[in-house]
Amino acid sequence: MTGFNRRTAVATLGALAMLSAVPALAQDYPTRAITIIVPFAAGGPTDVVTRLVSEHMSKTLGQPIVVENVVGAGGTTGATRAARATNDGYTLIMGHVGTHAASVALYPKLAYDPRTDFEPIALINGAAIVVAAKKDLPPKDFKEFVAYLKANEAKLNQAHAGVGAVSYITCELLNGIVGIKPVGVPFQGTGPAMNALVAGQVDYMCDQITNVVPQVNGGTIKAYAVAIPERSASLPDTPTSAEGGLPSYQASAWNALFAPKGTPKAIVEKLNAAAAKALDDEKVIARMKELGNDIPKPEQRKSEALGKLVKDEVEKWGKFLKPVG
Amino acid sequence: MTDLFGNLALGFNTVFQFIDWTIPLLGVTIPIPVNILLCLIGALVGTLVGVLPGIGTVATVAMLLPITFGLPPVGALIMLAGIYYGAQYGGSTTSILVNIPGEAGSVVTTLDGHQMAKQGRAGPALAIAAIGSFFAGCVATILIALLGAPLTKFALQFGPAEYFSLMTLGLVFAVVLAKGSVLKAIAMIVFGLLLSMVGSDLETGASRLAFNIPELADGLGFATVAMGVFGFAEIIRNLDAGAEKGRELVQQKVTGLMPTVADLLAAAPAIGRGTMLGSILGILPGGGAVISSFAAYTFEKKISNNPSQFGKGSIKGVAAPESANNAAAQTSFIPLLTLGIPPNAVMALMVGAMTIHGIVPGPQVMQKQPELVWGMIASMWIGNLMLLVINLPLVGIWVQLLRVPYHLLYPCIVIFCAIGIYSVNNAPADVIMAGAFGLVGYWLIKHDFEPAPLLLGMVLGPLMEENLRRAMLISRGDATVFLTRPLSAALLAVSLALLILTFLPMLRKKREEVFVESEN
Amino acid sequence: MSETTGHAQGNPKKGLIRGPQDFWGGLALVALALFAFYASSDLPGIRGFQFGPGTAPRLFASLLLVLGAGVALTGLLTPGAPLERYHLRGPFFVTLAILSFAFTIRPLGLIIAAFSSFMIAAFGSTEQRWGQTLIVGIAITAFCCFLFPYALGLPFQLQPRFMLQ
Repeated sequence: MTGFNRRTAVATLGALAMLSAVPALAQDYPTRAITIIVPFAAGGPTDVVTRLVSEHMSKTLGQPIVVENVVGAGGTTGATRAARATNDGYTLIMGHVGTHAASVALYPKLAYDPRTDFEPIALINGAAIVVAAKKDLPPKDFKEFVAYLKANEAKLNQAHAGVGAVSYITCELLNGIVGIKPVGVPFQGTGPAMNALVAGQVDYMCDQITNVVPQVNGGTIKAYAVAIPERSASLPDTPTSAEGGLPSYQASAWNALFAPKGTPKAIVEKLNAAAAKALDDEKVIARMKELGNDIPKPEQRKSEALGKLVKDEVEKWGKFLKPVG
Repeated sequence: MTDLFGNLALGFNTVFQFIDWTIPLLGVTIPIPVNILLCLIGALVGTLVGVLPGIGTVATVAMLLPITFGLPPVGALIMLAGIYYGAQYGGSTTSILVNIPGEAGSVVTTLDGHQMAKQGRAGPALAIAAIGSFFAGCVATILIALLGAPLTKFALQFGPAEYFSLMTLGLVFAVVLAKGSVLKAIAMIVFGLLLSMVGSDLETGASRLAFNIPELADGLGFATVAMGVFGFAEIIRNLDAGAEKGRELVQQKVTGLMPTVADLLAAAPAIGRGTMLGSILGILPGGGAVISSFAAYTFEKKISNNPSQFGKGSIKGVAAPESANNAAAQTSFIPLLTLGIPPNAVMALMVGAMTIHGIVPGPQVMQKQPELVWGMIASMWIGNLMLLVINLPLVGIWVQLLRVPYHLLYPCIVIFCAIGIYSVNNAPADVIMAGAFGLVGYWLIKHDFEPAPLLLGMVLGPLMEENLRRAMLISRGDATVFLTRPLSAALLAVSLALLILTFLPMLRKKREEVFVESEN
Repeated sequence: MSETTGHAQGNPKKGLIRGPQDFWGGLALVALALFAFYASSDLPGIRGFQFGPGTAPRLFASLLLVLGAGVALTGLLTPGAPLERYHLRGPFFVTLAILSFAFTIRPLGLIIAAFSSFMIAAFGSTEQRWGQTLIVGIAITAFCCFLFPYALGLPFQLQPRFMLQ
């Protein structure tokens, strides 16, 4: 290296040091931009929800919130990065049913434990899982459908968006409860899977309500049941799984905000309050409802409630999912 | 027909909407064509993103999503669509000038485009790419308006078996692309197919050829490998002693900026044919758009009187694939607009954008939100016109860029590529991998292996394997589905015919060579 | 990458190998294919009508083996181009610049990563006039720092991480 290179480097560093901020204290938090890692592709359901909520949260907190999409390995790449991030409240993650519950059963070599490596902040939303089928499948209602599944196990094709995806795990749950093992046809994402269902190339799939509603309303596919306790306002004519005689089939694609383990309690509380405030905003509520999302009730928004949800969910999926790979 | 005009009128009305805006301090109210402005911004940003190597359309559209929060939905979507097709225009610029394809669609453009640049004809190459793209954009827009619904029905006929056969045809195209030895080209395709196997298996989740390296768990990204074997390898090659002098010479001999009448006459039919092929393939959601540009290139090469010109700076070799990939980019909106199902990652983002704005796209979006759909269609035409107006004057600037001494230009390309690759996943490991592929690419050049078939193999590999496995799963192991389904059988027949056409002359030549040798 | 100038300027007509470029290129592909075959050998193959995850990698590896052998054989039997000379300076500094960027971007931020990477890459050419290069380096770093985080809104951090805390 030549002399002036080093000199420039030193000068640059000096200038930067002057520009940089004073060390932050917890009560001043936040003093700079917060990053929320979304472990899925931009534009997907988790990403959309994160952007909706974080826009409102950044107004409350008075600092910008940057959404960083870190995609890979069913979302576990992003979750691993968040688990290892500095626990100063400036790196958070929007975890979901896959990364923070089902992953424990799916990936035995998982680099983090969703129950212990994160500070739960708040549950953000739940999206009901809908059992949908191609439009000319014979059964008329969910009861008939379950019977049909049992009778035609060998010839049925079930679409999913790849091992570990929400559409995969939730249908594994259904198949496990009904006691069948249909042929699973993998697609690269729910878009192509839905396309195959519309075209009648596969028989049924389980997917988040957001993706299903427009197709059901358009008459290109039919929905047999929603896997939540009460009917959804977006699909008022579709019965719940309990009404259809399968009450144990409960599945929702939830998203929740987490911080790395050891993030100061005061910061977690501040973030929890900002998230709860966003979920009370009429515009956010309206947008979330349009997408078919359930907004957690106030008692569900507490960080302790989220901690318990994660524990219960890890256990629930552990019963029905087998390790992949 | 009247329906069509009514719809288009609605679309243009939407695009030319004026919103009154009061200038804060002056108190004067002026009408502003918001949607036109958003379309222009989208086109400009798209061009910029396309020109910057590595920064993908997906990444930018994703990053700009939050900016569109405050906009009305129609305007937001018009802007995002503008970024998408703007990037298609911009992408050809880097392919031609510095031999770096930003996306699968522009790999083919490097073949003749960069050769033209080396011959001092970067101007005509860039101009013909812009003109071809414009023509393709116009035709595709009309096609979307006119035949959107029936074309969707056609696309739904494509099941796994048909896609497998289509991808087979794509691989045959990749063979025909070869400039030199066909054997080496096939070896490169297979190398690419093998590279595409790295990652986790879609059906079982099993990790393949990833050696427990977490960064490889999701496979090698296209941008990573493309930046490596094209971008970095090209730089390293140019740095070899002597090559640099050759480059400086190239920079001296830049001739005209615009294509001559002869150029235009030669390119016109190629543009027409490229547009046709691209429009049809673009509708197929499972990778049709990917193979459109090399289908067009192969077609031109096959019907040409002088196929040996291809790969040496033929203007047709730029015009056809550029028109095809722009037409395909445009018609790939059809499944989104008629079914609400996104055919590729960028379209998935558009769906995300729509949902953020409270529009849930589906089969009824055309009836429920006609001003949105037709506004977008009309904006595409206007956007293409803007892009032509933006890009033709830019040709001069780009060509000036070639006059920058190479020893200053190449470090800039290195950091732009590095930043671009990093921005795709925010992963430093991707940058390291691209560096490694740069060395692989350097080695390939030294052994006269072509990188283009490698990349095409890499893109087609997963599509081919997945669809093959899907088809076999659904048919429960009955391989005859590929022949009993008429569309699939037809595609396989075309592949076979093309292969025979490629190998026949080669065999004949080999025989002649053998005779010549024995005479000696 | 390590085979350097050894066989560089042989006359193609002389010796056993008539087309060294193809011969060694083909052999390397064969080696690669064998390696891929070995690496995918533990993956399950076809079961019933289901293709296992190992089927396609092994199929492509076998194909590459045959094709690589074909290329090598062509190089052995038919006259072809000699091996080209490998240079070290260009590949070394360009690769170093890329690595430097990869390792500095997260801890040290865009300003330092881009500038140092530019300067290292510049060493790859023998024709630098350093004053000029430095100016261009600073200008392009400034341009990048405006373009990516601000104009395109990408989540880049400009300063080193330690300055943020």
